[in-house]
Amino acid sequence: MKKEALFKKMSGSQEIVLTLVLILLCVIIQIKSPSFLTMTSINDMLKNNAVIMLLALGMLCVLLVGGIDISVTSTSALSGMIVGLLLKYNIIENTLVLFLIAIGVGCICGVLIGVIISKGKVPPIIATMGFMYIYRGLAYVLSNNQWASAADLGNFKNFALGKFLGINNVILIAVISYIIFFVVMKWTAYGRKIYAVGSNSEAAAISGINAALIKLTVYTIMGGLCGLGGALAVSVYSSAQPNMMYGQEMNVIAACVIGGVSMNGGRGSVQGVLIGALMMAVINKALPLVGIDSIAQNTVQGAIIMVVIVLNVLMQRSTFKNSLKRREM
Amino acid sequence: MKKRNLSMILSVVLACSVLGGCGGSDSGAVSSTTSETTAAEEGTGNTEETDDSAGDISGKTFALVTKSAGNPYNEKTAEGFQEVIESAGGTCIVKHPEQATADAQVSVIQSLISQGVDSISIAGNDENALQAALEEAMAAGIKVSCLDSKVNADSRQTFVNQAGNQEIGQALMDAVLDICGGEGQWAILSATSQATNQNAWIEAMKSAMTEEKYAKLELVEVAYGDDEPQKSTDQTQALLEKYPDLKVICAPTTVGINAAAKVLQDKGSSVKLTGLGLPSEMKEYIGDDNEHSCPYMYLWNPIEVGRLGAYTAMALVDESITGAVDDTFTAGDLGDYTIVEAADGGTEIILGAPYKFDSSNIDEWAAIY
Amino acid sequence: MAGKSGRNISAEPQNSLKNTVFSWEGILVLIFIAVNVFCAFLSPNYKITNILREMPKYLAEIFIMFPMVYVLVMGDIDISVGSIVCLSATLACMASNAGVPLLVVLPLCLAIATICGLINGLILTKFQELPAMIVTLATQIVFRGIAEIALGSGGSISLSSTKDFKILAGKIGPVPYVFILVAIIAVVFALILARTSFGRKLYAIGSNSETARYSGIHVQKIRLIIYTLTGFMAGVCAVFLTSVLYGANTTTGSGFEMDVIAMAVFGGVSTAGGKGKMIGAVISAFIITCLRIGLGLINVNSQIILIILGALLIIAVLLPNIAALINNMKKMAAKRAA
Repeated sequence: MKKEALFKKMSGSQEIVLTLVLILLCVIIQIKSPSFLTMTSINDMLKNNAVIMLLALGMLCVLLVGGIDISVTSTSALSGMIVGLLLKYNIIENTLVLFLIAIGVGCICGVLIGVIISKGKVPPIIATMGFMYIYRGLAYVLSNNQWASAADLGNFKNFALGKFLGINNVILIAVISYIIFFVVMKWTAYGRKIYAVGSNSEAAAISGINAALIKLTVYTIMGGLCGLGGALAVSVYSSAQPNMMYGQEMNVIAACVIGGVSMNGGRGSVQGVLIGALMMAVINKALPLVGIDSIAQNTVQGAIIMVVIVLNVLMQRSTFKNSLKRREM
Repeated sequence: MKKRNLSMILSVVLACSVLGGCGGSDSGAVSSTTSETTAAEEGTGNTEETDDSAGDISGKTFALVTKSAGNPYNEKTAEGFQEVIESAGGTCIVKHPEQATADAQVSVIQSLISQGVDSISIAGNDENALQAALEEAMAAGIKVSCLDSKVNADSRQTFVNQAGNQEIGQALMDAVLDICGGEGQWAILSATSQATNQNAWIEAMKSAMTEEKYAKLELVEVAYGDDEPQKSTDQTQALLEKYPDLKVICAPTTVGINAAAKVLQDKGSSVKLTGLGLPSEMKEYIGDDNEHSCPYMYLWNPIEVGRLGAYTAMALVDESITGAVDDTFTAGDLGDYTIVEAADGGTEIILGAPYKFDSSNIDEWAAIY
Repeated sequence: MAGKSGRNISAEPQNSLKNTVFSWEGILVLIFIAVNVFCAFLSPNYKITNILREMPKYLAEIFIMFPMVYVLVMGDIDISVGSIVCLSATLACMASNAGVPLLVVLPLCLAIATICGLINGLILTKFQELPAMIVTLATQIVFRGIAEIALGSGGSISLSSTKDFKILAGKIGPVPYVFILVAIIAVVFALILARTSFGRKLYAIGSNSETARYSGIHVQKIRLIIYTLTGFMAGVCAVFLTSVLYGANTTTGSGFEMDVIAMAVFGGVSTAGGKGKMIGAVISAFIITCLRIGLGLINVNSQIILIILGALLIIAVLLPNIAALINNMKKMAAKRAA
């Protein structure tokens, strides 16, 4: 009896199912290509996907309040480009200051979006679509079509190579961010308010939560994370150019959705996003190793997303049916 | 009912404003150059008639269409082009396509035709996709030449090639052979899968590889980095993991070689690198020892490519050449050039031989470009 | 109280002149005239011949906008249209290069696109819990991926003989066929939306799909039809795009979905559903196209054009909200004073 309950509980929890699938995937790939689970390989994979993972965290909060933000890569590109330009023209060279500036730029971008959405009542998809064009265009205009290449970046690019306590700096930042967000979302009032606003905006407002303010802060946080992500991307790839991360906003949304975040708001968790992002990273990395031609990569990725979300729905339906059965007389 | 009538009236007003309010009809009037141009004194040829006021460059408009926006190599070429045109008194328009695709270039070409420019010099993102637009340009009397990345023979009058394709292919092939130590696996990291110039050089490399002395070399993969540092980095890492026995990566694109050099050097990998790179970007990666990932590489001076492109465009516009084989002209201080036959049935002008950069001369050249 | 559609049962006459001119569509007409005057002022090259030359490429995009308005009015979204265009254009080019005559290539292209739309519709109607955004995101990736596989390592395909597709790029006088076709289809789609019961059902579904279902409207069947129609129009777009570009590559059609949604929203269609008119979307499509062409003629950096378009989009949606906000504040102040 107890075993049944445990199994039911496990199959009901999406995160646990996802984790099992992820482990299964890793095992299969490791068998086919033993070089997959080596330290360097995992290190590389995490480093390359750290930016997307950070953005997915911010996207979690945005999706939780029932919004969406497709301007994330443009904000990252703008902040990254500003960092690159500051380095190129030798205006500021201190790594820490540059990171703070990038986060600041991102926050300003996020605040603008937040104000337009919460006060201006513009639908999030429209507002962020407009800002996607605006911020990306600004990145091009500010840089005057010049890139900042490795030679210009001086010491900044060494940040991505450096280690602290044995873990790569970039990965460390991602890990710390995930821990912070996990704590905030689960154990602080602010986190609970985000879930409340997402579940039912009017009910939350009536119960005294300033829904508009929550939405504004959520978009600001998203912007700040984008700024951080942009600066990290510049460091990891040793170059800043205005078309950085073009087209990758859908990858961020996909990572959240695979991780079980509902696009209608109110449902989702940090651990889900972590697993979703890891799954996308593993799939990206593993496909060439398993012999799937790089040309078929996108198709396989899209198909996997489709399979995951359909399975999700089927699972939800069966849990619903089961719980209904228990209530039948 | 009233509202419906009103909507109809508004629609008619709409239609009229499109047809009437936008200026004159196409009665072949000479259109003046755009309000931005500074040096224009006389009107340039309009879209319907050919221009036959030869011999006078000042007042003519030359357009350069790059492959994409921002790529340092493109920027240097544009610099050289602009400098020559403006010092000769002409007007130079440099247009970057919205994205690095042929579709975006088609819009740019159509806009230039509407502006009635005298010459279009283009670095094509795709060999064939631009044919319709460029043929329309040539029919409107615009001289079409290409530089760096060619379009097919029917779409151009001539092509300014930085170095013979065969020469580049041979030089790179020999470099791979030398660095590999005579045998082993090697891979290519290219730009986009449609890029005419990279594809031409890869073809040349493959045909050079059929010779006996390359028999022990194995080309395992051609990866496409799309001229994006991120994607190039990811592809390099994928190559390193897929082929543990890889010895050499050859990247015939400045963005690719830059990304790959960083990856290899940061990892301290034993895989070596060669290809085509900008000295200013590759300075810290060039070296003979184990610490540096690239023993040597090749390129040419992109600024000179731009300048030769400008001289060619000017010569076409003032009709001192027509783009046919054996035409000769003087390209300012670059010297005399003769148009030769190109492999695809059209004609080309070759700037010179590819130049080798290694640890002995990298510092000197890094300061220049 | 105005419902989502903005219509209300009030005593004010709805057909007054003021209401029509100051309706969003009326403002759009004024903006259109203003944009044309502005562009003509900027450059003497802004002539009807040049505009008609550059339009076909942008007009192909507008084909997708018509069904997208329907989708948005229903409260759904479809971001896979660009990929459907890519896939059908690719397969059409491959068929044409293989010697298949134009009369067979055209229906083939339309059929493939319709099937893609059908797939979208089937998944969405069978799994109603799935948000349209995510499903069409996944199909966007898959369809483009299939095109990438078909294109192989070259990544692009060109028509070996352009004479077939050149017919489609023909003109009557100075007016390209595309323009005429767009005009006809615009009228058809606009009439269906505004004057038929099918159109009313779309508005009903967008306003409140549950209520629509209870009142006897086959919501899922209509959704399926609309998504299939979207696929079909994407096929039409692909055909005319190929007649301009004479080829296809892996990036064909990328960004179309966002462009088209922007045009529709700028034209007054609400993404929440239940609001908007086709005429508004058509006018806004031409505003955006003329603005692009006009600014391109004075060589404004294409990135700056993007900034302008983005800002216009936000302002277009923001202004009515701010106006409503100010109105509300006035009314509240009046109530408090009374």
